[in-house]
Amino acid sequence: MTDRTATDPAARTAAAEGDGRSFGALGALGGIWLREVKRALRDRGQLVGGVSRPLLYILIMGIGLNPYFRAEVYGEVRFVVPYSYLQFIFAGVVVLNVMYTSVQSAVSVIWDREFGFLREVLVAPVPRFVVVLGKVLGGATVATLHGCIVLLFAYFADVELMLGDIVAAIGLIFLLAFCLTSLGIAIAHQVRSFEGFGVFSNAVILPLFFTSSSVFPLDPSLSRTQLLVLYPEWLVTVIYANPLTYAVDALRGKLIGFNQFDPSAGPTILAILSVVFFYFALRGFRRG
Amino acid sequence: MVGGDVSEGTAPVVEIAGLGKRYGRTLALDGIDLSIGRNEVFALLGPNGAGKTTLIHILCTLLKPDTGTARIAGFDVSRQPLKARRQLGVVFQEPSLDSRLTVQENLNFHGLVHRVPFRLRRRRITEMLELVELTEWRHALVRTLSAGMKRRVEIARALIHDAAVVILDEPTVGLDAQSRERIWAYLGKLRRERELTLIVTTHYIDEVDSCDRVCIVDHGKILALDTPEALRARYGVEQVRITPRDLATRTGIMEQNPNAIAEASGDIVLPGATHGVVDRLLGGFGTGISNISIERPSLESVFLTLTGREIRDQAAERPTLARPNARTGEPVN
Repeated sequence: MTDRTATDPAARTAAAEGDGRSFGALGALGGIWLREVKRALRDRGQLVGGVSRPLLYILIMGIGLNPYFRAEVYGEVRFVVPYSYLQFIFAGVVVLNVMYTSVQSAVSVIWDREFGFLREVLVAPVPRFVVVLGKVLGGATVATLHGCIVLLFAYFADVELMLGDIVAAIGLIFLLAFCLTSLGIAIAHQVRSFEGFGVFSNAVILPLFFTSSSVFPLDPSLSRTQLLVLYPEWLVTVIYANPLTYAVDALRGKLIGFNQFDPSAGPTILAILSVVFFYFALRGFRRG
Repeated sequence: MVGGDVSEGTAPVVEIAGLGKRYGRTLALDGIDLSIGRNEVFALLGPNGAGKTTLIHILCTLLKPDTGTARIAGFDVSRQPLKARRQLGVVFQEPSLDSRLTVQENLNFHGLVHRVPFRLRRRRITEMLELVELTEWRHALVRTLSAGMKRRVEIARALIHDAAVVILDEPTVGLDAQSRERIWAYLGKLRRERELTLIVTTHYIDEVDSCDRVCIVDHGKILALDTPEALRARYGVEQVRITPRDLATRTGIMEQNPNAIAEASGDIVLPGATHGVVDRLLGGFGTGISNISIERPSLESVFLTLTGREIRDQAAERPTLARPNARTGEPVN
């Protein structure tokens, strides 16, 4: 993109007037990113949700189920997760917060179409790719921040965080946020109404969340056949098929050092899905 | 001929050749040829569905034409859309500001995506806010502004970057007379300060009088293109305006003159009238008429002659709600 600046009229004006730099497409990307972030941070409701949701899950669900988690099944101890329920659910709560915020940020696509701002963007001399990338990065940034809000509660959930783990966790959170924001935007192009989008997000977020082994563990020491004794087959299948399972697991590995699957599965799946969803988000935008 | 030529001594900055666009079975644009010179104020006039908005959308690179080409400052709008957009400033008919951002943030966003360098951007924002008299509202959220102020912000926004052509699609629709006047005052001032081509569509014919050239379109074709004076001289007709004193006189005049137009104000307008008609009316109705006058040809009558429709009716029936988009059948917002 930088080689373009030589033929860019704005850049030429800049050189002539000594008016500083325009940073080319990067400036445009920054502008679109900044708008998404500002809008989201100004939305008080979203911030309140971002704090109250994790509190609810950690304080009520986490503390409430904590005593039942040690798997002291009378007569026969099958499987013991060496962590408290609060610790176990912590990564899931981070993911839940990221999911809500990512999908919420895609509403801005519908908003832009509904209130005309889309036109301003469409007549701007910016490639569609940059527009969509700016939007996704903006939404992902906000979602990452909301994920980090949950990390602030780590102390109350007995999760001890090392600096290196925090950095790796934030990286994972960002990747997840990028993936989900792209998905949200891709779907927002199809839905096109606020009501429809609300229905969609409720129909997708919670089922995905609950079937990602975020609120209850599978037993890594058991084979699939043995698992099927504990859980019905359809549930196990859904959990294995849910890509979020691996994202939650990878994050949990970073936060409390407990992995049920290969730790590299999460980042790999997220990276692939990010590319796929981003492509659909871009395609939806190109079709207008 | 219907003049497609540019005023003397200026190179065309907008060149349109054989432009055609079809929506299903409707022909929205039927081979438009047009060129607009630098520093020209060009008015596009036409009834609803005449093809104005289609033409504007093609110029803005939002729509691709079926046939023909359109160039902005030498850049083909369908082949080099990014370069063409850089030369364009657009004020859309429907609002297109982000109401959750402040005035300054909206302008700054525009500057960023149009790659206006930092210092120039800061200077332009200050200058343009001064121009539209909104300096004190700089840090106000856009949703707190009135409709007229929002319009002014949009005009300021279209001028933040170095646009060669500024397109204003109905910039004054829905505004009160004072706001309309102000907007035209800004545009006039701006034109004296900067070299700028303005393309304006409007429903208010009186606004068109101050433009360099007026182009009247209907059914996707150019019906007339010339200076306002030349159009008046060529297509305008004198008309007699009668203010009847009572209903009986009113119906009487209407029955005698089948070509008479009854206006909502109660006046009756007789197009193509002469002094003979005035004598006949005064002889026939005498004291039933409280006022009678001969009006010089107006652009209104030019429009009426050419399209067979009165433009004011269009303006009145224009809905404020979203109109269906001809392309997708969805509301345009």
